[in-house]
Amino acid sequence: MTLAVDFMGLKLDNPIIVAAGPWSRNGDMIKRAFLAGAGAVVTETIVNEVNIDVRPRVAYHGGGVQNIRLYSDILLEEWEREIDIAKTVNGVVIASICAQTSSEISYIAGKMEKIGVDAIELGLASPMGEGLEVMAASAEKIYEMTSKVVSSVDIPVMVKLSQNVTNMSKVACAVEKAGGSAISAIDTVRCILGVNIKARKPYLPTYGGYSGPPIRPLGLASVATIAQSAKLPVCGIGGIETYENVLEYMMLGASVIQMGTALMVNGFEHIEKVKNDLVKWMEENGIKDLAEIRGVALPDIKSFDEIQVEPKISRLKNKCARPECYKCIKSCVYQAISKDCNNADVTISVDKCRGCGLCCDICPDKNIELIWV
Amino acid sequence: MNIKAVAKKAGVSVATISRVLNHPEAVAPDTREHILSVMENLNYTPNWFARGLKLNRTSVIALLIPDILDQGYMEIAKGVEDVARQKKYNIMLCTTEEDRNKEKEYIENFITRKVDGIILVSSSLKKPDLSQIKSQNVAVVLIGKNDGMAGENMVYTDYIAATAEAVKHMIEIGHQKIGVICGSRPKIENADKLEGFKKTMGEEGLTVEPEYIVEEENSIEGGFLAASKLLNLREFPKAILVTSDIMAIGAMEKIKQAGLRIPQDIAVVGFDNLKISGYVEPKLTTVAKPMYRMGLVAARLLFDLLEEDHEEESEPQEILIQSKLKVRKSCGHQDRVKEIF
Repeated sequence: MTLAVDFMGLKLDNPIIVAAGPWSRNGDMIKRAFLAGAGAVVTETIVNEVNIDVRPRVAYHGGGVQNIRLYSDILLEEWEREIDIAKTVNGVVIASICAQTSSEISYIAGKMEKIGVDAIELGLASPMGEGLEVMAASAEKIYEMTSKVVSSVDIPVMVKLSQNVTNMSKVACAVEKAGGSAISAIDTVRCILGVNIKARKPYLPTYGGYSGPPIRPLGLASVATIAQSAKLPVCGIGGIETYENVLEYMMLGASVIQMGTALMVNGFEHIEKVKNDLVKWMEENGIKDLAEIRGVALPDIKSFDEIQVEPKISRLKNKCARPECYKCIKSCVYQAISKDCNNADVTISVDKCRGCGLCCDICPDKNIELIWV
Repeated sequence: MNIKAVAKKAGVSVATISRVLNHPEAVAPDTREHILSVMENLNYTPNWFARGLKLNRTSVIALLIPDILDQGYMEIAKGVEDVARQKKYNIMLCTTEEDRNKEKEYIENFITRKVDGIILVSSSLKKPDLSQIKSQNVAVVLIGKNDGMAGENMVYTDYIAATAEAVKHMIEIGHQKIGVICGSRPKIENADKLEGFKKTMGEEGLTVEPEYIVEEENSIEGGFLAASKLLNLREFPKAILVTSDIMAIGAMEKIKQAGLRIPQDIAVVGFDNLKISGYVEPKLTTVAKPMYRMGLVAARLLFDLLEEDHEEESEPQEILIQSKLKVRKSCGHQDRVKEIF
């Protein structure tokens, strides 16, 4: 049994890649990530012109993080030394880079290749500060930028896509046509994390990138779309915290995944826990290689035309053990669920129930199921 | 005392000593400490002069700008310096005033002084001048487009597109009678801005009034004078595009003195995004020129040339750096979100 994976021709010990972010901001942090067991590390996004950091720039609320830091604060020349430091231990370094024109971004890519990184990730989806038009929303722009970078370097080029698009499939195909080696998705999502009601101000003073578990369903949808549109390997990103989340992304077509926010909150040692849990799950389920489960859930994503209308309705599995709970009754928009006058027995009306399935998830005891009538 | 003796004494390779000198962080702490103490005991310091002789290098590059009083060029200089410092290089700075002969004289002087490379900003040189420099084995990188010098290592901004973006923004706000205050310098850059203006007005079906285009010296006074000329017209423009912030500030002063309001009576849009433009009243909408970044990238290109193996000479690169319209108050727009992004 192995966690090892071949991704864009790179041999990774395991599929957990540390995402681009403040946690991979220099050589020392990247080295720490390797020592903690990361399969690869993506550097914080490197640009030609470094930006001044504002304070504060990270806010954490409701399980999600808003980040308004604009890219790496280390000069390109200094990254040479940082990569040297990172490479004092064995590990695959992927340089995340960003610029606004194809000639500028391909220049940075060439620089990073010379410095000795193993691959490039184009981070064109930044939701912070660059403008209302997200570069990654345009298939033409993605094609132009990717093809120029691909022709300028000999190392693999992965393109990170944004969820802020109208047609993810078109953008994914543009990367494939341009000769990209892989697609990673999704970048953080443009957000305002929340408003401090007492102070009457947003938590952070501008729009920022949203990450963490709340964006996972968005990431899953994007990865599924990319996996169904392009033949390129996919790197899943967005709200991954546990081994189950890794499996979800893989079952929807990801070969590898990236973690960022979970490591920011829990530290790099969290990588080892997820790896151990993955190994345990593979042992219990007789999986030798994660490739066996890649994309297995995709055939069950259907068009509306393909979904069979089945005469299903809800049924109580056992007698309800919560006389004071009314959750299923309150949530049923068809008024199909009721209790008797003693609050003892729950009844689901066969005539009224339309089989929407909500009560099955709402019931705290998972005591309701859908059955054929 | 040389590096070989230090390596021998420390029991490591010359390459490791070199790494301790250039990238100490990349050497294991124990080894690093050991080598540093050996160096100290032997009283060793690297001999940069000898190094220069061996590599036939002086570790000096030259930067030629049109005008030392123009803040934009100082931003370029800052970008060049930030990279040069990393490379342990010094810079010689001179101004050309866009005078081809002055520029040529300086370059001859640089070559005599054996500079390793030259960065030319808004150069007035012609192709043969450049070939002559390169035949002396001096690396050259250009900042800003230049007459007939395609196929050179160059960093530039597309001023036609940048102006088009600004003019479209003014038209979106509802301005139709748009005038231009054009600086007499820099020549090629401002010619591009005028072309971008005329092209966009034409595409949008608007007329360009010849009397609405006024050229003056690129200074606060020039801007003041040009605005006076426009205000003296029988029907003055309701919006003015100015080819530099410094002229825009002069123009705004004249408009205020005439008792007119900005942007209600006349809207103003500048070019450059000087720091001060965000503090004048009303705050100036302007096209941000990525001068600092052009300086950084030009210096990077120059050091690439200096560091490259002559056997594998690479193709010249033309790198486009994108400008950005900074929407503030002087253009009269109402849409706050455009100010944020």
